[in-house]
Amino acid sequence: MKSSPWERSYKIKVVGDSAIAIFLGNKIDEEINDVVLTVAKKIEEKNIKGITEVVPTYCSVYIYYDPLKADYRQVLNELHEIVKSTKVKGKIKTRTIKIPVAYGGEFGPDLEFVAQYHNMSIEDVIEIHSKPTYRVYMLGFTPGFAYMGGLDKRIATPRLKTPRKRVPAGSVGIAGEQTGIYPIESPGGWRLIGRTPLKLFNPKRDPPTLLLPGDRVKFIPIDHEEFYKILEEEGK
Amino acid sequence: MIEILDPGIFSTIQDLGRWGYQKYGVSVSGVMDEVSARLANMLVGNDENAAVIEFYMKGPKIKFHTVTYFVVGGDVIIRLNNKEITPWTRYKARTGDVLTMEFLRSGAYGYIAFSGGIYIEPILGSRSTYLRAKIGKKLETGDKIPIGTDYKIPIVESLPESLRPKYSNQVEVRVILGPNEDHFTENGIKTFLSSWYTLTSESDRMGYRLEGPKIEHSKLGPDIITDAVPLGSIQVPGNGLPIIMLADRQTTGGYAKIGVVIRVDIPKVAQLRPGGKIKFKQVSVDEAHELLLKRERILSLIKKMIYGKAIYTKIKVKKKDFKIFVEEIKD
Repeated sequence: MKSSPWERSYKIKVVGDSAIAIFLGNKIDEEINDVVLTVAKKIEEKNIKGITEVVPTYCSVYIYYDPLKADYRQVLNELHEIVKSTKVKGKIKTRTIKIPVAYGGEFGPDLEFVAQYHNMSIEDVIEIHSKPTYRVYMLGFTPGFAYMGGLDKRIATPRLKTPRKRVPAGSVGIAGEQTGIYPIESPGGWRLIGRTPLKLFNPKRDPPTLLLPGDRVKFIPIDHEEFYKILEEEGK
Repeated sequence: MIEILDPGIFSTIQDLGRWGYQKYGVSVSGVMDEVSARLANMLVGNDENAAVIEFYMKGPKIKFHTVTYFVVGGDVIIRLNNKEITPWTRYKARTGDVLTMEFLRSGAYGYIAFSGGIYIEPILGSRSTYLRAKIGKKLETGDKIPIGTDYKIPIVESLPESLRPKYSNQVEVRVILGPNEDHFTENGIKTFLSSWYTLTSESDRMGYRLEGPKIEHSKLGPDIITDAVPLGSIQVPGNGLPIIMLADRQTTGGYAKIGVVIRVDIPKVAQLRPGGKIKFKQVSVDEAHELLLKRERILSLIKKMIYGKAIYTKIKVKKKDFKIFVEEIKD
């Protein structure tokens, strides 16, 4: 059996008395994240007694367990088995989620700044931002917030010096070399360039988030009229 | 139904937490001190996970619009219709009765459990308030809260004094080191395990910020590639001062974790007040699990005692006093 290049480098560690982490790499990398998501799915499917939650991140999988229901040494053994037997063949299956975004104006109060900062037109920023397909590595920070990779460095822009007290839900922003969407209203220091009318977090849906790890995201520029039309449909 | 006449300082509805959704970025939330909340629920005949009111420092003033049993868990002077009553004891409230409370004498969080539990619609499997996601809200004057009707009133109505939780503002808390111990120097870990830290007022249900000797990072620095944050994680950002992540913690974080507080010691941490002192002691995972098992054994004996299936008593053996549980073993 041929072993994958990462196989020799994984590490499993107990974290506190109710969690175990599997570290599968040490950088933000699509291939490592593919392994993370594959391993996480396998663990969930195995329904190991006492495991309460599996949380995939950039390059690790966290497993929460109930020490009253499971012996951690046994869980560790099972996890080793799973990691060792996991083969990732090519790219993992993904969905592409189209996210309509109304750029600029009241929805993107920092769009002009971003354009000026890079000496380009507003249209250029929109074009550069909506052209790539982004990858969702993980969810965290707030419900439904997707850590995405793939922003074109030409529009990378530093955060605001003073964060806004209230950023509306759906706001699309840039912070350094990251781009992201605020799923719920919260304080925040990202440069806001637009807003999507889609609900990224809805506790009444299952799953409660629009985006899932491994998803590809494509931003579709829309005008402000269309924004309100979709917003109304989302509210239904 | 009950009505909030005065919410106190910060009161919310909580159960034992919204587990299972961390992979979607949804925080666990839930009560800060699971032992106090579970004991209060036991006394009113509820499932231990029933929703209760959690209050910070000062309890709410509540008017009952229904007949219900209730228990206040915490070290606090309470009154029912201006008549002083005692915590950790079950009372029957009648329509029109008013419950008032003074400030907690010790501890930071108190609980009010109602027979039948607070009966709001669960969201993602839990009734816990999660303010950041606008699930539930901070209780306000005029709020009317439905109470359930499914309960079985147990036999014992009051927790014996020696079984009531004691809250201290100076605690030694046991931790399991790591997972990012390599982000700290040997000296840094020594500082962490040998110093007294003080809880700052910049602390809330999300996390407790501590002040004290700075913990030295290794050349790897304070940042990690963002990963998950278990309950009790102790993050150390660039300023070298530890933050203990609690009920409303974010599911993920990018600061190195020097250690994780063991589950049995979470209530001790939660009940600290700003200015409280804390010291960390390293234990092994096996020790942590043994301690948890022991605590759960005692809690289950207390539950049996409350339901009349065990007796809690004092005995003298060789001139020494012991407090013991006696459980009948049936063939």
